[in-house]
Amino acid sequence: MISLRHIHKRFGAVTALDDVSLDIGTGEVIALVGENGAGKSTLMNVLYGLYQADSGEVLVKGQPVRLRSPRDAIAQGIGMVHQHFMLVPTLTVAENVVLGREPSRWGRMDMDRACQEVAATCERFGFKLDPRARVDTLSVGSQQKVEIVKALHRGAQVLILDEPTAVLTPQESDDLFRVARGLAAGGRTVVFISHKLREVLSVAERVAVMRRGRLVAEVRAANTRPEELAALMVGESRVPLAEAQTYHPPGGEKLLEAKELRARGEDGRPALQGISLEVHAGEIVGIAGVDGNGQRELAEVLTGLRTLEGGGGNLLGGPLTGLTPAEARRRGVGHVPEDRLWRAVVKAMTVEENVALGRQTQAPFARGLQVDFAGRRERTAALLKAYEVRPPDPEVPLQALSGGNQQKVVVARELDAGPKLLVVVQPTRGLDIGAVAQVQAKLREARDKGAGVLLVSLDLEEVLALADRIYVFFEGRVTGTFTRPEFDEREIGRRMLGTHGEEVAHG
Amino acid sequence: MGERLRAVLPSVFSVFLALAVCWVFIALTRDAETATGAYLQMLRGGLGDWAQYFESERLTVLTRPLGEAAIKAALLLLTGLSVTVAFKVGLFNIGAQGQMLVGALAAAVAGAQLQLPAVLHIPVAILAACVTGGLWALIAAGLKLARGVHEVISTIMLNWVAVSLVDNWLSVGPLRAGAGTHLSITGTAEIATSAQLPRLLGEMSRLHLGFPLALAVALAIWVWLSRLRSGFETRAVGLGSEAARAAGIPVVRRTAQAMGLAGALAGMAGAVLVLGTEYRYPGGLGAPYGFDGIAISLIGGNHPLGVALSALFFGALRAGGTRMQLLGVHKSYPELIQGLALLFVAGRLVWLALLRPRKVAPVVPTRQPETSPEVPRA
Ligand SMILES: Nc1ncnc2c1ncn2[C@@H]1O[C@H](COP(=O)(O)OP(=O)(O)OP(=O)(O)O)[C@@H](O)[C@H]1O
Ligand SMILES: [Mg+2]
Repeated sequence: MISLRHIHKRFGAVTALDDVSLDIGTGEVIALVGENGAGKSTLMNVLYGLYQADSGEVLVKGQPVRLRSPRDAIAQGIGMVHQHFMLVPTLTVAENVVLGREPSRWGRMDMDRACQEVAATCERFGFKLDPRARVDTLSVGSQQKVEIVKALHRGAQVLILDEPTAVLTPQESDDLFRVARGLAAGGRTVVFISHKLREVLSVAERVAVMRRGRLVAEVRAANTRPEELAALMVGESRVPLAEAQTYHPPGGEKLLEAKELRARGEDGRPALQGISLEVHAGEIVGIAGVDGNGQRELAEVLTGLRTLEGGGGNLLGGPLTGLTPAEARRRGVGHVPEDRLWRAVVKAMTVEENVALGRQTQAPFARGLQVDFAGRRERTAALLKAYEVRPPDPEVPLQALSGGNQQKVVVARELDAGPKLLVVVQPTRGLDIGAVAQVQAKLREARDKGAGVLLVSLDLEEVLALADRIYVFFEGRVTGTFTRPEFDEREIGRRMLGTHGEEVAHG
Repeated sequence: MGERLRAVLPSVFSVFLALAVCWVFIALTRDAETATGAYLQMLRGGLGDWAQYFESERLTVLTRPLGEAAIKAALLLLTGLSVTVAFKVGLFNIGAQGQMLVGALAAAVAGAQLQLPAVLHIPVAILAACVTGGLWALIAAGLKLARGVHEVISTIMLNWVAVSLVDNWLSVGPLRAGAGTHLSITGTAEIATSAQLPRLLGEMSRLHLGFPLALAVALAIWVWLSRLRSGFETRAVGLGSEAARAAGIPVVRRTAQAMGLAGALAGMAGAVLVLGTEYRYPGGLGAPYGFDGIAISLIGGNHPLGVALSALFFGALRAGGTRMQLLGVHKSYPELIQGLALLFVAGRLVWLALLRPRKVAPVVPTRQPETSPEVPRA
């Protein structure tokens, strides 16, 4: 139904797409995979009219079309959910969905009708969303549903999802896949980009593999194994193996001792309802839980970004109460936040300026009251090289990097500061398998050098792979603690859902 | 380099387009000859009458007009910088006019009431203006930080408060020259000679110390924003305040500092006006340099050096505008040109789209204007 023919796209010196041709049929789920910076988002942005190809054409139902803006694409029945959401945080779900085509009465927006319409769309496709909820009070997973509903509401026949599962729990991912298959069965097409090869193979019928701007392979999912796919992506059969896990008994001092923490979430509801936990030097402590059970707020409290309303404790030799972001950094807390573009980086600034963020007053980023340009350039260049960020150019604006490469910059920056306690939330979000392995190795390395790591991830597999100890969160409380090697996946899952019977575990 | 050029082009094009539109306008209402003649007069008025100079060898035909241009440019530059500095921290300072007004009055009072040697008197009077303007701007910053009042609203309202306070009361009431007598003078008392900004070319031009001062300030602001730690932090706050907060940057302090500095710069413009040319606070300060600052800043791309160029250009244009009257063309055309140029710059997204070469896309994608409702998050 849709054909991309010989698409070329360059950004300055970078060739993002090099003669890419791809057919997208009706009623199929097709996946697009490839390393960070391979050109997946760029290709889909061309299809969505956000970028114009330098050459090549797009055919819809055999007819060449000009897609000069998303408006054109939407008119052709193409909808897209971006890697970085494009919602207006202060508006409600319904308002966001109908934005630009609001139902009106007497020239005023008809809120009731908007809500009804949106509720109907949600109902039809099986989404549970409150049309009147403000978007900034929703979890990332729910925000994504809003994006999908928005596209469907506009009549998308082809739905492009750019790394939709990077932010979802396994449960939510399964839901999403059900939706995707349902849409395909109903004659729509779903194109989705992902780095999680297993899920790619389980949901898609066809997989297109990109490498450095080229489409290098198209395979049927049914007869492909993840390893084969990975090999196609990196272009050689060197696929990083998961490291064998051993338990690291907490070797050192107590870095964090939190007692009965209480705090409210963005929406004013109590998010932490008496959380107690400890992190020692030389261990990775994982927080497992379904999104929205207090993990985000815990990370914010520990980094001074959220005020504590009750409880307290000790963090790196100082009180937890009254902690500010500057003070947290001074004590040696590193932070990889969940919401990258909002909280971790300033996207309009250059890569090197972003690397300086957080350490802007220290060597090698400053000399006295001045910015140390040479030192900053040198350090940034070294980090970009070490983390294989592409392009390794300290001077480009951060927003010119692909999503995965932006994340690498953030992780590199935080680890480079030599933190004593690292609070990382979804550290491998959006990274390709090679980069995931690399970042996980770096986290282990930091631990082995004596740092404490608090790992919050919605990906239980990641928590199981990395953590030495696990706290399970449910509704702002700790519902279980586990120590390697006694990780009981099913028990952890039950406690994440709060369905572990009468006995209450103590953290 | 190509990038930087592309950032400058929209402003340059906008200015030329504005010049062309006004030319057509004059040509339509009068005729093409008058339009061209008026532009030539404007050029002579702004950049000096070079033809006459080569004929008569009289230097003043150059120095007079150039001096006037420089004086205007100094004021435009300071108010333009005021808007720029606020912009860098993410605030839109519509209030440079009010800040300039209170600053001008403070300079007039300090200039008239104090008796000091010139080396002290001038700095003290300027400082008084800066502090007053800065405090005036800090009201808006305080409202924003404490109560979330949008600075556009508060600075506009503070402009009116400043007009009422200064023009409608203080300068015609308690601070009027000869208050308490029957003399019907408006405006404050004349400042002491020791507070007058020295003329740099003596009798040959009105050019005074304010011009090099403004240039030096522009340079200092540029150095601050681009080379100093605190300038970096300020820009980070303006471009991503949550990321700045998470990085441990004192967001509140940086915001207040930048807004205070913005007010101080506008106040300094008031001081330059009073100490350089008016020599007192006249009854009702007509000159809307504070509002001009918005246009100057935006046309200058909110970059201190760009703002300097834009101020020099429009200073010359404005100074030359008076000479258009020789041909019966109204002297407000330069302001019209400035306004149109602003309009075209504001449509710069359109420019960027038109300029985008087919093969190479801009490395910096369209920078969203501050007011864009589509704030992508997450
Ligand atoms: N606006 C831009 N300006 C300059 N370069 C860009 C821009 N957008 C993308 N690029 C470059 O194009 C290449 C492809 O980027 P793209 O975002 O398509 O990668 P991706 O496959 O989606 O990667 P990821 O998995 O990390 O999201 C990268 O090298 C990136 O740096
Ligand atoms: Mg991408």
